[in-house]
Amino acid sequence: MLSIAEIKRGLFFYEEASRGFIASFKNPADLLKAAEKTKQANVKSFDCFTPCPIHGLDHAMGLHRSWIPALTFAGGLIAGLLGVAYMYFIDAINWPIVYGGKPFFAWPSYIPVLFELVIYFAAVFSVVAVLVLGKLGSINRKIPATGVTSDTFAIWLGDASLTKSDVERILAGLPAEIQEIKP
Amino acid sequence: MAKENNVYHIGKPFAAIDDDVMRPIEAFPTKLWWGAFSLSALAALIGVATIIYSFVVGLGVFAINNPVGWGFFIVNFVFWVGIGHAGTLISAILFLFRQKWRTSIARAAEAMTIFAVIVAAIFPLIHVGRPWFVYWLFPYPNERGPLWSNFRSPLLWDLFAISTYFSVSLIFWYMGLVPDFATLRDRFERYKARSKVGNFLLQMKSYTYRALALGWVGSAKTWHHYEKMVMLLSALATPLVLSVHTIVSFDFATSVIPGWHATIFPPYFVAGAIYSGFAMVMTLMIITREVFKLKEYITMKHLENMAIVILVTGMMVSFAYTVEFVMAAYSASHIEQYAFINRLKGPFAWAFWIMFTCNVVSPHFMWFKKLRTNIKVLFVISIVVNIGMWFERFVIVIISLHRDYLPSSWDSYDPTWADYAVTVGAFGIFFTLFLMFIRTIPSIALAEVKADEANAALSQHHHGAAGGH
Repeated sequence: MLSIAEIKRGLFFYEEASRGFIASFKNPADLLKAAEKTKQANVKSFDCFTPCPIHGLDHAMGLHRSWIPALTFAGGLIAGLLGVAYMYFIDAINWPIVYGGKPFFAWPSYIPVLFELVIYFAAVFSVVAVLVLGKLGSINRKIPATGVTSDTFAIWLGDASLTKSDVERILAGLPAEIQEIKP
Repeated sequence: MAKENNVYHIGKPFAAIDDDVMRPIEAFPTKLWWGAFSLSALAALIGVATIIYSFVVGLGVFAINNPVGWGFFIVNFVFWVGIGHAGTLISAILFLFRQKWRTSIARAAEAMTIFAVIVAAIFPLIHVGRPWFVYWLFPYPNERGPLWSNFRSPLLWDLFAISTYFSVSLIFWYMGLVPDFATLRDRFERYKARSKVGNFLLQMKSYTYRALALGWVGSAKTWHHYEKMVMLLSALATPLVLSVHTIVSFDFATSVIPGWHATIFPPYFVAGAIYSGFAMVMTLMIITREVFKLKEYITMKHLENMAIVILVTGMMVSFAYTVEFVMAAYSASHIEQYAFINRLKGPFAWAFWIMFTCNVVSPHFMWFKKLRTNIKVLFVISIVVNIGMWFERFVIVIISLHRDYLPSSWDSYDPTWADYAVTVGAFGIFFTLFLMFIRTIPSIALAEVKADEANAALSQHHHGAAGGH
């Protein structure tokens, strides 16, 4: 069994704060090249930090497809099925009343409510999935380099075997400002 | 030159964009802001006091009577829900259509949606008479039977539509804000380091933005999921916004009142909502860009695009008015026909003609480039359109209700001081919330503006001079 401390560590442990090197750039094009070079150099644990989403960065880093669409769909589906079941229970089983001579289970009139339930739960699942998969929620997480929420584009290389000269060799030719991270 | 190819290109270093967008939050507010804020807070206070008074004394303080059971409450409710629609249109639908110009107005428009829905929700709440039992509307297992809600009722559909619309808009807006809150958090961290004495207010602000930023550090792995979510929420909000005013129109269209029982109502209401909503966005954006010096971000091109949307939706609304009259004439039902003759010539004909002048005539000024690029003209028209749209709901609710089938059950409608007070109060609450929003939350979607800038530069880098999108 997982202990609470382990779950907390799994959810809110940020590798980039504990080891490795951070290289900062002022230009997103340089960061894209750096991400490609890092992937080619077979560095296993690395991440980028940017003030805005950069087109093609997920591809350059070789990130897998996101689970968000599947989880959103699941949220909508669950809400739809449970919604129908609940309304069936209410109108056909628990307290059947004849309205305007229609059947107890008058499904066409459930469509608006079901539609809203599906949208609501799909949206909630989507947001909760981002909070969990994106590791958000620990408000004391430190930014790995100054300015990554303003005008700096940074890449973190975290393999334990890397030395500063390795990082300099990988990022050779790019205007990087390299710093070692000390926990 | 990038600047000539792309009118929305700002072409400033990111740090300067930060300074521009954060200025209204970090600087002490101007006298103009304080003036506007006191005025709207006073109006809000009048509204809230009247609402509390009505809870104490009862619904008798309002003018609703036997045939006109909905009165100003539903006029205001439909008006404010409609205002909200433009925000979602700008933030979700224009996003899906890759309309880059939406970026810098999306945040404020979405805020407007949330405040408008809050204001709209107040009216049914007063209207139920005993708002402390409002949770009875939800179908939860209860000790009263159980007494369930009626899922066949459009009023219940409306409850679900409005609650979902508010919740989804709120989380969409908040998730969009998280990266910008992180920017603010790090700026306040710097101010805190600089100020020598411990400033309590600065500490509080700094802590609040830290909490709101949820530990956002701009990790590419987070952006990867986040961008998918933004896309999906837009895709969910698009049918949602269309469903909301459709369901609001069902409140009318599924009844048998002459003037309400019409199949054109759903598209007619949605078009009207976008029309009035864009007019309100226009009013707010003109004020915001003038007062907070954001002319580089909210440009004339933005206002012109909105003016064109107002022209198009204005014509859609005019078309719907025409269809209503044609359908009545063609219906061979003298009661249906009378309902429309009563609009033209009855005791409330003045309301119809105000609506007609404001909604059908005024948008046509937007055909002329000289007029739709003139701030003063745009400002006046945006207000005129909203007056017209308020009267459209007055025409639908009050004129249709006060005379239906039996002349013996006809009556009139004479709004009391309380009706006017809550109507003024609604505007007060809305503007108070909006003015507080501008002072505390980045009113331009900073990360999105930067993404547009960075990615435009990147694509130019890759495709050379040919790529300039």
